[in-house]
Order: sequence, then structure tokens, then C-alpha cells
Amino acid sequence: MSQRRASEGGVFGDYDLDPSYYDEMFGTDGSARQACRRLNAALAELAPEDLTRLQEGVYRHFLHEGITFTVLDAERVTEQIIPIDCVPRVLTAAEWEHIERGLKQRLTALNLFLKDVYHDGRCLRDKIVPIDLVLGCPQYRMEMRGLKVPHDVYVAVCGTDIVRTNDGFAVLEDNLRVPSGVSYMLACRNAIKDAFPRLYRAHRVREVADYAERLYSTLASLRPSLQDPQVAILTPGIHNSAYYEHAFLAGEMGIHLVEGQDLVLRDGALHMRTTAGLRRIDVLYRRIDDDYLDPVMFRGESVLGAAGLFHAYRTGNLVLANAPGTGVADDKSLYSYVPAIIRYFLGEEPILANVETHLCREPGGLAYTLEHLEELVVKEVGGAGGYGMLVGPHASAEERATYAERVRADPANFISQPVLALSRAPCFVGGAIEPRHVDLRPFVLQGRDEQHVVPGGLCRVALRRGSLVVNSSQGGGCKDLWILED
Amino acid sequence: MLARVAAEFYWLGRYVERIEHTARLLRFQLDRLADRPADELTLGWQAVYRILGQPPVGKTASGDDAETVVMPDAYTLAGGLVEERANPDSLLSCWEHGRENGQRVRAQLPLPVWTCLNQGYLWIRDRDFSAAWSEAPAALVNEAIDRLRLFAGVVDAAMPRDEAWRFLELGRFIERVQHQAVLLASWIEFSREEHAANALSWADLLRVCGAYEVYCRRHSTNVDRTEALNLLTRDPELPRSLRFSVHRIEELLTGIDPVGARYPLAPPHRMALRLTAAVEMGNNGGSDETDAGGFFRSLEDESRSLHHLTMAAYVTYSPPQGLAK
Repeated sequence: MSQRRASEGGVFGDYDLDPSYYDEMFGTDGSARQACRRLNAALAELAPEDLTRLQEGVYRHFLHEGITFTVLDAERVTEQIIPIDCVPRVLTAAEWEHIERGLKQRLTALNLFLKDVYHDGRCLRDKIVPIDLVLGCPQYRMEMRGLKVPHDVYVAVCGTDIVRTNDGFAVLEDNLRVPSGVSYMLACRNAIKDAFPRLYRAHRVREVADYAERLYSTLASLRPSLQDPQVAILTPGIHNSAYYEHAFLAGEMGIHLVEGQDLVLRDGALHMRTTAGLRRIDVLYRRIDDDYLDPVMFRGESVLGAAGLFHAYRTGNLVLANAPGTGVADDKSLYSYVPAIIRYFLGEEPILANVETHLCREPGGLAYTLEHLEELVVKEVGGAGGYGMLVGPHASAEERATYAERVRADPANFISQPVLALSRAPCFVGGAIEPRHVDLRPFVLQGRDEQHVVPGGLCRVALRRGSLVVNSSQGGGCKDLWILED
Repeated sequence: MLARVAAEFYWLGRYVERIEHTARLLRFQLDRLADRPADELTLGWQAVYRILGQPPVGKTASGDDAETVVMPDAYTLAGGLVEERANPDSLLSCWEHGRENGQRVRAQLPLPVWTCLNQGYLWIRDRDFSAAWSEAPAALVNEAIDRLRLFAGVVDAAMPRDEAWRFLELGRFIERVQHQAVLLASWIEFSREEHAANALSWADLLRVCGAYEVYCRRHSTNVDRTEALNLLTRDPELPRSLRFSVHRIEELLTGIDPVGARYPLAPPHRMALRLTAAVEMGNNGGSDETDAGGFFRSLEDESRSLHHLTMAAYVTYSPPQGLAK
């Protein structure tokens, strides 16, 4: 593979371009892309010590403000700071417009799909999606069958993972249950704005600071009959990995951050215990999984939710965002049917492509996966966080053999995808700027009448050289994403 | 405000106050290390541990040295109160608990308050204690106190005087009454013990409470037991006097629950009034020392009851009662 150096000297001294990967800053000829020229020039003028100082400043800011995520293992709970790379990634207005349209289209279709599978099941009868795939999915909630969801908004908050290869943008995964990461996007933006105030201003970057306001409006719009609905966030508590985000969003929206122990069902409605007695909750932005919402309906041992919560929801006394049972639409097996779902419900071609996916539940997919294990990434359909997957090219023969046994034993639990040549972006690592693989998680809000795509997103970075795993729990970090006005 | 959140603020206030109380006692003892005889230091350590409700330290040697008390070294003793994770009342543990309370109410805590609390915790967590003990032990405790003052200042400047602030302050003052009552009761007990009376003067007590300079301005450098106890019990202006604290508790409870402050009084308000009356009118031992220790011990008991009544009224009440409100 021929490799060329993007520029000589300064912090870019060792920056090597590899044409196998799309580079977010440099074109194949080694010159900075039009939208990145100003940023490239500004960075090239900096000494490594300047960037080190900026990076350390960002780290200190995160440390002191406690912008952390929690890692739980068998022995202890530790708080970690998500590593922030101080070099922003830039997307043009045209690139973003494409992504935005694609995300809106996708979420519209997925909400229609969810309504359908919990009511008429037309798409199942018409064999757009195999019925056993839907009904057999552990995330399909029989309790939701026939239940009228306010304004048919099953998914009010969505985070979609998007990657870029040399072929363009593609959706890697939809997160329709409790997508997280938006607070890191906002914290990252504030830190980078402080670090590069002039550069930021000169780029005319689209703002993301009104996210909390928009989220509140979205949630409140789901209960339009009330002028001033009581909105709250339900968190599992401080040991949850995303607790910082829950507290941050509650603080920004000025609403209560409740835990299961605060909740009581009275007169068919959900209430929270305050110092002055019980107060009713109208809209609950729940940040816990379906299983833990209500010990009466779901997992009996759960103490994270509240007994009777689902009853309040069912009787229309409470709006839940997102609705229970949305996980059936972000299951990794179902993912490969999303283009067909878009065509079926909207009569349109998908704007954002999917990644080629082989379902091991199908004989052809299983055979292909087992034959090409060395070239594929194999994932559990219910897996998350980069855990439990096999990256074929990086695995030993023994690891592949062991994994193949697992796949054979329960094929329906696995899918496989080709190893993607994720795009790379310049990152300041070890005193110099080097290319690292990145992905992107934009957030979409779906209210009663309005859809809003946040003009930015959580840009995750695989900080280890050559690694494709961007998850923060596995050595990943994040960087600011600048969407330019024009 | 959520009942659980109120409790978190309340406990945050208590832990902050607890750290300050321990740090003040430690500073008193560490300041003496340079120039006091060994037997006085031994008595000092025993007093500090006793006041803080810690297990007794030091044991009597056997054989010919039966009258000698064998003590661990000063830095082990200080370390037990500062850095020992197994001790739930050590500065480190209290800071950790307080920070956890703060973390649970981050959504309601102004960012500067949270940042100050978090930075204080990171400071003590990442401290090289062995270096601190070998170089300047008193400086460590002084910095802890400075950080608490900074925290108090940031709270004062950044927090609105809402329910959250009131619960935080209520926790601080209930904790303060408990500690001050125990401190005064213990000091009276020391004054009756021949050896301890010489080692722990009334001036020392005033210094621990940050009241020595006030006393000197009002009276003289000759500290009189009666005046010292009166200052620490009944002075309306001294922040660490019992009277000052119980009045603050009354005001805070009225702010939290104005209805409960009207007759018939709510149980916490009734107990607060009872505490105030006891502080203002009870026998603090200024003139008669026979039951003075008992007086302060009873104040400690009543402040504990006040804690339980407050929790029962605003945090752990049963839901039907809540609906009726």
C-alpha cells in the first residue's frame, strides 16, 4: 500500500496518508480539503508543546468538572475521563445536509415500523421483515401490542452511528432505546471553543448549545394537553456509566432527575416523593432499559424502576420517552432490513446506505460467515459497547475457532459484516498529529410535529494506532465535530 | 424538591461540617507537636480521639513501666483521622461521602459549587500523605480547612436561597450542634481530670472553636471557665456557639416548612424550639459544674432526635401522608 506524507514538519510531521482510508482532513493528493484548509494551516503553525498544553487544559477542565463515565467491573467502580482529542473534525454543509436528510428519513420509517409491528403487522404479512425475526426478538414487548403511543412517537430521541469509507457515508447502527453521548458532545464543544476561540469563530460552525432546550420541547410536545407538563429523567443512579449525562441534561433542562426509589404509583399516575408530598410526573425521559422499568411487568427483581409504572403508561397517565419495545427496531438482525422498511413505508430509496450484513440465522449467511471468518467482524445481535464481538483479521486462529463454535451453537444470535475501512481524522497523540479511525453519532429528536437533527454529534475516535474500536470503554475517545454553515 | 435530593443536600452539609470539626481538632493537636512535652501530647491525642468518638488510642505498658502509656507515633494517629479509608469519619472518607452526595444532586448543584467540592476531593484523594506528614503536617490540615472555607464561600455566592440551600445549611448546623455539644461536654470532663486539666486549657478550647481572639477582645487573655463556656454556648453572634447554631436551625426549618412553624408545630420545629430553650436557659456549667457535662450530652441527644424528626417529616414519610399534603 503506497503511503504519502500529508505535510512536512510541525505537528503534522509524521502524518501518513493511506489511500485505503478516507482521510477527513486531506485529499488523496496530500493537500488539505477545502473546508479544512484554515484549520490545517492554524494547526501547522502550532508547536507540539502548544497542543500538549491545550490538551492538558481540556483534560483538567474535564477532571475538575467531573465529566466522566463510570466503568463497573467485578471488583470496583471507577470514574474515567473520556479522552478528548483537541483537533476538531470538519464536515461541510453539503455533507451534513445529506446526513440530516438520511437520518430524518430513517427515523420516520422506523417509527412507522414500530407502530406497525405493535398494531397491524402489515410489513410482517407482506414479508418485508420475517415475522419470526420480529416476534422472536427479545426486545419485542408483547405488552406494547395494541397500545396507543402518544402521537405515534415511539422513538423521541435517537442516536445513529454513521461511518465514512471511500464509498461515502453509511449507517452502522441505530440506537433507539437509550442512546447516550450527547453530553460529551456538548462538553467537548465547550472545551474546544475555549481552546480555539478565534479559529472556531472564523469557521462559522453550527451551534449545538440549544440541545437541552430542544430536548425539553420535544418531550413536552408529547403531552400537548397539558400546558406545563411535569417532565423528569429517570436514571439508574450514580453508578450508571452515563450518570454524568443524566445529571447534566436534568440540570440543563431544569427538571427533576429521579431514581426508582423516588417513584410511587397513586391513582393510576406516577408520582415522585418531594419534601412537600407526592407530585405527579407527566413525561418521563427514561434512561434505563425496558427490563428494569417496572418490576410488575418486566424483571421482578428490578429496583431501578417503579412498580406500576407501566400501568400509568398504559392508561395514558404517563408518557415514556422512548417507548418500551423500541429495541426491536435497533436489533442488529433487523438492521439489514431497514432499507426495505424505508422503501415499504415511505416509498423512497434510502438516502443513507447500510453496511453489508450477513445474518447467521439464514443458512446462506451462516455458511458465508463461517467460511470468511478471517475477513469479517462478527457481532452478537444484542451486543453493545464493542464487547462480545470478533474482529476476524485481528483474532488468532484459536480465537476464531472458539468463536465459530459459539456461532454454530446459536446462529440466530450473530451477524457478520466486512471489516470496514473507517475514515481517519487527524488526532493529537503522543506529541504529534497522527491519523486515527473515527465514527460519528448524530442525535435526532422526534417531537409531536417536528424532527430536529442536532447539527453536530459525538465523534468517536479509536485512539490506539490501527484500532477500529471507538467505544470509550475500550480505549476510544472523542473529538468535536464542526458542521460548517456553508 | 425531591425528598431524596433534600436528604443528599442535608448530608452534604453534614459531611462538610464533620470534616471541618475533625480538621480543627487535628490542627489544634498538630500545632502542639513542636513544643509540648510528650505526656501532654499523649493526653491531647487521647482527647481528640475521644471527642471524635473514635476508639481509644494508647495502651498502658506492662511490668516496670506500668504507668507509661504506649502510643503510636503522631503521624499514624493523625493518619487515622485523615487518610484512613477504613475509618468512616476520616477526612478522606467524609470528603468521599460528601462528594457522592454532591454527585447525586449534580442536576441541582450550581457548577462552581460542584467543581469546588470535586476539586477538594481530588486534592485529598491524590495527596501524598507520607510526604505531607514528613514535611509539614499542619499545612495539610490547614489546607483542608481553607478548602472548606472556599467551598462555604462558593456556596454562599452561587447558591440561591432555596430549599436545596436550606437543607444543606440545616445539615451543617445540626452536625455542628452535635459536635459542639460533645466537645464542650468532653472538655468539662477533662477539666475534672487532674492531668488532662493541665494539658487542655479553656484557652485551648476557645482556639479549637476559633473563638480565642473574640474572647480576648471582649474579656482578657486570662481565660475564665465561666466566660468561655458562656461565649461558646450563648453568644448570639459567634458562628460556632450553640445559640447561633440553634437559631439558624429554627430559621432554616421555618424556610423549609412555613406551615410547620405555625401552631400546632410540626415535630422538627417543636424539637428545634426545645433545643433553643435548653441552650438559652439550661445550666451550661458556667457556675455549677456538677451536671454541666450532662447538660451538653442531653443537647447532643436532642440534636440527634432533631435529625430523625427532620428525616421523618421530609424524607422518609409514608406516601399516603404525602398525598394528603
